[in-house]
Amino acid sequence: MDTLVEIVSPGFLLREALIGSVLVGCICPLVGVYFVLRRMIFLGVALPQVSAAGIALAFLTYRLLLGQHQHFMASERWLALLGSLSCTLIGLLILAALAQHRETIEARIGVTYAIAAAATILCLALDPAAEAHMVNLLKGDILATTGLSLTLMVGVFGAVALLLLIFRKEFLLVSFDRDQAVIFGKHAGLWDGLLYLMIGLTISLGVMTAGPLVTFGFLVIPPLTARMLTRQMLTFSLTAAGLGAMTAFAGFYCAYRFDLPLGPAEVALASLGLAVVTTTRGLSRMLGKWQVT
Amino acid sequence: MSNTLLRLQDVSLGYDGQAVLEHISFAIERGEFLALLGPNGAGKTTLLRGMLGLIPVLAGRITYGFDRSTSPPGYVPQRDTLDPIFPITVREVVLMGTYARLAPLRPIGRQQRQLAAACLAQVGLASLADRPFWALSGGQKQRVLIARGLAVEPNILLLDEPTAGVDPGAAAAIMDLIAQLNRDRGLTVVLVSHHLRLVRSLVRSVLWIEDGRVSKGATEVMLAPERIMDIFGPL
Repeated sequence: MDTLVEIVSPGFLLREALIGSVLVGCICPLVGVYFVLRRMIFLGVALPQVSAAGIALAFLTYRLLLGQHQHFMASERWLALLGSLSCTLIGLLILAALAQHRETIEARIGVTYAIAAAATILCLALDPAAEAHMVNLLKGDILATTGLSLTLMVGVFGAVALLLLIFRKEFLLVSFDRDQAVIFGKHAGLWDGLLYLMIGLTISLGVMTAGPLVTFGFLVIPPLTARMLTRQMLTFSLTAAGLGAMTAFAGFYCAYRFDLPLGPAEVALASLGLAVVTTTRGLSRMLGKWQVT
Repeated sequence: MSNTLLRLQDVSLGYDGQAVLEHISFAIERGEFLALLGPNGAGKTTLLRGMLGLIPVLAGRITYGFDRSTSPPGYVPQRDTLDPIFPITVREVVLMGTYARLAPLRPIGRQQRQLAAACLAQVGLASLADRPFWALSGGQKQRVLIARGLAVEPNILLLDEPTAGVDPGAAAAIMDLIAQLNRDRGLTVVLVSHHLRLVRSLVRSVLWIEDGRVSKGATEVMLAPERIMDIFGPL
């Protein structure tokens, strides 16, 4: 209880990290809802890795062209965001454009993941001066969250959440029945583009803040859990976001209280939630069938 | 006001630049009840998708007797083309029909909700508005999709195999509903079907598609018993 009081108090030393963690936990599932509904879950594995490769590549390119950048400066965050966002958007657009050839989609995503992971390590190896710091950033340097990066997150994630809310009928229509959207004269390609831009931004900031593992975990696990609990689109999205935020908070609490690594603690808790809901649902169905017979 | 709702003039349709149907010409009049019939793979769905603007016209011209941008056609897809992963209620599906006339920043309001409720009542499923769409039977889902098509407030309703995969009783009920919409509301209806027996007693005209060509005429001529015998053998 003391720990809980401590981490919610305004003077908590890691307050920015806690807020950042909860923001990632809340917004990644909002975007992840469309990963699940559009059956793009495998993309959710590959893209955070592509984003991480983008950060490593941006730092390496900067060093090769302009010299070593300074750590823990605002410019480092912007550089990381630029690399991460560019690579994520390019990867997303290429994979989405090729998505119509469904028979080889898993292979393409697998190859993308492998290339991105290898590129990340190679870029790190070629940039030894930055390696130690980079490893932290690529894992998700949530404890290094500063007031500036938090402001950036609030701005970007706020915009993403707002756009998802106000254009939810367009995103739903284009995702659920693309033909109908085209017949209605909606520009399906533009809506896809906007959605992909928001996915790219969310993944880039998520990876920079919490790392690829946590970003993927929050993109997919809370929406999968929420899908079993809801039967309307709006409540589905809100439940996924709520579950993600609660899991992030609980994960932060556990990590702080028991001295655990934050990312794995959050993903483990989210998975536990999914397991509990799946089991309860399965048992309830079995009970229902048993009562009928 | 012109009585022709849709006219195809020497139209070729197909995929990836390869024509499936060539030199198609016919017109659909206001209030018509038309069935697109023909053997499997003849191009019935291709023609329907071409009429809806879902595939590019390779040659020729399609003209509409209404403004497609403000009043798009109603469309009822085969329900199997929709993904059951979406947690969505019957009401939400029908409300999608109202999106046709809603600009991006305009929220769904009372008017849209009332229209969706009225359309749902028209297909006899008002009591199921809050049920999950995927929990319904095949026939009920098809009725919901028809309600969605009506919520567009269309000049013309185009249906792709509305009775595919539903039991005979539900199929007959769906066809009766569609015929009633045509008869009572004067709604122009075009449907793709392979249920010749069901269609024959209800539609007023038939477009027969075979070997990349089409021929159109009154049902009693196009589906005259001797013609049917030639094509299918005894029904």
